[in-house]
Parts: sequence; C-alpha cells; structure tokens
Amino acid sequence: MPAKRVLIVDDEESIQTVVQFGIQMVADWSVLIASSGTQGIATALAERPDVILLDVMMPDMDGIATFKALQMHPETAEIPVIFLTAKAQTSERRQFNDLGVSGVITKPFNSLDLPDQITKMLDW
Amino acid sequence: MSKRKRSDSRQTNQQPSPKSSSKPSLQEHDELWRQRQWVKLFAEVTLKIRQSLQFKEILRTTVTEVQRLLQADRVLIYQVLPNGTGRAISEAVLPEYPAILDLEFPEEVFPTEYQQLYAGGRVRAIADVHATDAGLSDCLVEFINQFDIKAKLIVPILQGLNSHESATQNQLWGLLIAHHCDRPHQWVDFELELMQQLADQISIALAQAQLLEHLEEIVEVRTAELQEVNRSLQQEIIDRMQAEAALRRSEEQLRLITNALPVLIAYVDDRQCYRFNNKAYEDWLGKSPVDIYGSDLQSVWGTDCYQRMQTHVQSALLGHIVTYENEITLKDSLPCCVNVTYIPHLDDRKEVKGFFALTSDISDRKAIERMKDEFIAVVSHELRTPLTSLHSALKILATGRLGTLSIDGQQMLEIADDSTERLVRLVNNVLDLQRIESGEVKMEKQVCNVSALMIQAIEAMQPMAQQHEVVLAMKPIDIEILVDSDYIVQALTNLISNAIKFSSPDRTVWLTVESHKNAEVLFQIRDRGQGIPSDKLESIFERFQQVDSSDSRRKGGTGLGLTICRKIIEQHEGRIWAESTLGKGSTFSFTLPRLNA
Repeated sequence: MPAKRVLIVDDEESIQTVVQFGIQMVADWSVLIASSGTQGIATALAERPDVILLDVMMPDMDGIATFKALQMHPETAEIPVIFLTAKAQTSERRQFNDLGVSGVITKPFNSLDLPDQITKMLDW
Repeated sequence: MSKRKRSDSRQTNQQPSPKSSSKPSLQEHDELWRQRQWVKLFAEVTLKIRQSLQFKEILRTTVTEVQRLLQADRVLIYQVLPNGTGRAISEAVLPEYPAILDLEFPEEVFPTEYQQLYAGGRVRAIADVHATDAGLSDCLVEFINQFDIKAKLIVPILQGLNSHESATQNQLWGLLIAHHCDRPHQWVDFELELMQQLADQISIALAQAQLLEHLEEIVEVRTAELQEVNRSLQQEIIDRMQAEAALRRSEEQLRLITNALPVLIAYVDDRQCYRFNNKAYEDWLGKSPVDIYGSDLQSVWGTDCYQRMQTHVQSALLGHIVTYENEITLKDSLPCCVNVTYIPHLDDRKEVKGFFALTSDISDRKAIERMKDEFIAVVSHELRTPLTSLHSALKILATGRLGTLSIDGQQMLEIADDSTERLVRLVNNVLDLQRIESGEVKMEKQVCNVSALMIQAIEAMQPMAQQHEVVLAMKPIDIEILVDSDYIVQALTNLISNAIKFSSPDRTVWLTVESHKNAEVLFQIRDRGQGIPSDKLESIFERFQQVDSSDSRRKGGTGLGLTICRKIIEQHEGRIWAESTLGKGSTFSFTLPRLNA
C-alpha cells in the first residue's frame, strides 16, 4: 500500500484519535487532524492531502458546507472527500453522492478497516 | 195497495139494519151527511197516518181518530204476539171506562183457530155482546164484562199486504177493535168500511215501519261497519304515531349518544352524501349536522382533503372496511391528525347502501409517536459516535500492537468487543425499525435484477458463513423486480444471517427464487438447523421474540431482525412467513410482486 496522507475532520477528539491509530496501525499512512470545517479547509489548502475524511454532523460549519467550500477552491476541489456519518439512510446516501463526494462511511465503523475501505472506494 | 176483497171475506153476524124507504128520510139525510163527513175525515186520518213514519204514533193517531169518528167509547189496537198471547198496545178510551192498554191477554181469550179466521179476513161486528145470537161463550162474555163492553167491532190488521206474491198467506198481526160501553150498538156499513180501511192503512204503515226498521238495521250495520273501519283506522293512526314516537325516541337517544362522543360519527350514502352527522361536526368543522345533511363529501371537506379520502371512500363503497389516517383542517384553521374508519352498510341482498364513518382525533397520539421517533433517532444517532470510538479502540487494543494482554485480559477484551458489536447492531436495528415504522423513509423502488440482489446478499454474508463453516448455495434467476434494493438486500442478509447462526458446521444454507404465475416472486432461505416450534412460527416476527431467550446472547442477535424483514417486505406489498420441522430445519419465505405482472 503506497504511503498516503489522510486528513480527518471531526469535532470529536476520540474519533480523531481512533482514526489516527487505526490507519497508522494498518497502513502506515500519515494522518492530519482538524477539529472543525474551517480548520479542515485551512489544513487541506496548506497540506493538500490525498483524501479527506469529513464528519457530516459538526457544529457551526457542517460537513456538507465544508465540502461545498472545498469544492470552491481550485486547490482543494480535486481532493477526494469521504463522508463519515451516523445517517445511513439510502436517501441520505444518495443525497451525499449527488453532491459529488467520493464515498460515505457509516458510523459506527472500525478504524482498522478504514485503509481497506478507502483504497476500494478510490481505486488506489 | 190493498188487494183484499172485503165483500167476499166479510162475515157479519150483525142484525140486518132496518129497511130504509125509497124516499130519503130526515134520518137518512142525516146519515148521508155523516157519511160525507166521514169520508172527509177518513181522508184526513189517512193523511195524518201517512205523515208519520213513527209506527207508535200512527197507532195512537188511528185509535184517537177512530174513537172520535165513530164516537165509540173505546178503540184499541191489540197486537197478537208470536206465543199466542196478546196485548193492547194503543188505546183511546173515554175516561169513564176502564183502560185496557198494556194489559196482556192469555192465549185462551184469543185462541189460534180464531186467529186463523181473522187472518183469512174475518170481521166481527157484534151489536150486543149479551144477545144470545151474538155467539159468544159465557166465559168470554164474563171476561169482557169487566171492561164494560156492550158492542164491539173487530177488524184484522194483516201483515204482508204489501206483498205482490198473492200466494203468500196473510199473517195476522193484530186487531183494530171498537167498543161501545154504554149500550149495544148497531154497526153500520160505513163504520165497518172505515175500520177496515184504517186497518189496511195500519198494515201499510206496519209494512213501511218494517221496511224502515230494515233500512235502519242496514244503516245500523253499515254504521257499525263504518265505525269498525274508523276504529281500525284510528288504531292504525295510533299505532303509527306510537311507532313514530318510538322511532323519534330511539333517534333522540342515538343523537344523545353520538352527540356526547368526542368523535365524528356519520352515515354516508352510496352517492357520497351525508345522511347523518353528530354534533362533533359542528364543534370541529363549524358546520351543523342540519347544514351538512345531504351535502357530498367533497363540498364538506374541500378538494385537497377529499383527494386524500377518495380512494378510501371508493373502497368502502365497494364493501371493504377501511381504516386510514388523514390530516384535516378544523374551523380555527388548525390542522388535526385523525384516524378514520369506514364500515360499509350492506342491505339484505349484500349490496352496499353506504357506509358508517368514524373519525377520531389522534393528534396527541401522533405527537407522542413523533416524540418517540425523535427520541429514538436522537439516541441512536448520538450513540453512534461514541460507539465508533469504543468499537475502534477495542479493535486496536485487540491487535496487541499496543502491548500484550494476559489471557484473562484478552478474554475481557473479547467480551467488550463482542458486546460493542452487538450494541452497534442493536442501535442500527432500532433506528432502522423506527424509521420504517414511522414512515419517515419511503422505499425508493428501482428496477433490479433478482440475481444481482442474490449475489450481493450472498457476498455480504460469505465472511460470516466461512466463520461458521457453513456453505452458502444459490441458483441465480434472471427476473426483474421493482424494489428498494438496499432494503431487500438487508432483508436477505438478515434471513441468511439467521440461517447461518442456526446451522451446524458443514451444513448448507440455500437461497432460491421462483417466479410464480400469480404475479409473485417467491424468495426462500432454507437451513437444516434445529428448527422452530410451530407455536413460535408467527411470534418470531414480533420484536424481541426469539425462540429461546438465551439465543440472543448466544447468537449475538438483536431480536429485531425478523421484525425489520417483515416491515421491509410489507412495504413492498409482499408477505413473509416461516415453515419448519423441528430437528430438520426451517424455511423462511417471502414474496414480492413481479414487475409488469
């Protein structure tokens, strides 16, 4: 598995931690962390990660708004985004797909499975 | 009128009157004058008699006038009664002589053979009852002496004079009798004539009276009949009024009951017009039952609301019992959630005449349901994030990369990990079920190939099958159905997962699909596990109803899988059921409608 750089944007610190641990333990990818949409956009612009794992339910700026903002920036528009969501409904998933996200991973997930799931979704 | 020939039948044993000379004497002249007077008076009497229809009065007039005309001391009418006795029923008598009126005479006084003689028309004129040639028996003379009778003239009153049948024997009704009491009296022809003519008049009056009586009888009978008809009519009127009153009472009672209930109660006819509404219509909609009566549903509820009712109304009018929920607008423009039930009204010939409609306010229930749904959604949703952390953290710990645990420590970690996974499934299932039940999610149906769904489900369950060393077998079939593929795959994986859980290692779980002629596609998942007792085959589809309560712990189930399956299949207009033989295995089947069937 080639080395990749993953940005996780989630307001929950425990999620940040388990995602970081899980990915690094399985794939030895580097993991960047952001606690809000705004911070995530800044990090994405600065670091240009290979993939962004974006939590949908966040205070202030939610995942959808963050995604749309990322799409607005030419520097970040091409970075694949995968939503992390507690909403698993078919209709919601379809709504996310229509936005143009690269994939949706439903909570609760096992962070150890993330590298595998991301690789499949993005055809790495 | 009278056809009797008097001259033939007349018998007199009166002494011949003294010979009259050829030249009229003064006495004769006087007699002539009297006779003329009599004729005149006779005409008057006849007129008087005819003026009355009252028989008694006629008799009284007759005796009075005869007594006056003949200057007799007593004139009476004697009626012969059917038993042979007789009675004086009318009498005119000078005050100095005893009255005979109302005295009853025994049969001996007037024996039957005499009666027959009189019936034949005999007239008796006796100038002197004491004369030896009078021919009266001593006892009779003695009898009549008590009434001071010296001379008597008797003429019969016959019945049936009116009859045109000459063959009919005249019947003796009675006698018209004149008495002289002071001295014997030589009866003259005029007197005889007068008496006879008056007796005839009485006969006629008698016939008329009988006719009148007959008429009166007929009138009486008719009157009685009319009264009877009138009575039965009145009875009928009373009956109807009572029935009407009873109906009114029962209707009042019905109104009282239906008006007291806080629900809308109505009867709608087969033309969708209201025929009954309770008072709640006024309270809820501001329209009184009187205003609504006869109006059709659409005009009462408005076009929008009626559109939501229409199919249910049509179904009820086809004879189906219908229950549905609707949102109506109350008079204060506030929306109200209602539960509506239509019960068709069938007549004797099973034809639908209309339906009964019951509408109840379920706003409170809806509000509670909404709160429950929201609560479940929030709780389930909020549980997911910490569960992700917990789940991942335990998995990371279990890798051993962060330090090796003792055997006991590893066992504890496994318990935590298993329980977390079960908790994850439970949260997922609770949320799924709540979403399907609340109607929050609509099945998003797309055309899908059955074999693709089968492969998707089998592939998803392959890891679990391998773990349990169970073989999954299927035979793909190329049919298209219109379904929400995610939910059908969820139902299939739920059923396959159950089949795997209850199969022994090296057993096979079969997934087969058949296309049926009756426009259905039949899915079956068959295992050769322990089987399900027949009394549980229904209840296992209820939530948290496992065959064995220890199963859920042992097999890691949530007790909601089959309930979710049933909800999914029902949302697709299909049926789901289980068949099983204990010790041999179980088959779970469900049907889905075929596309373009």
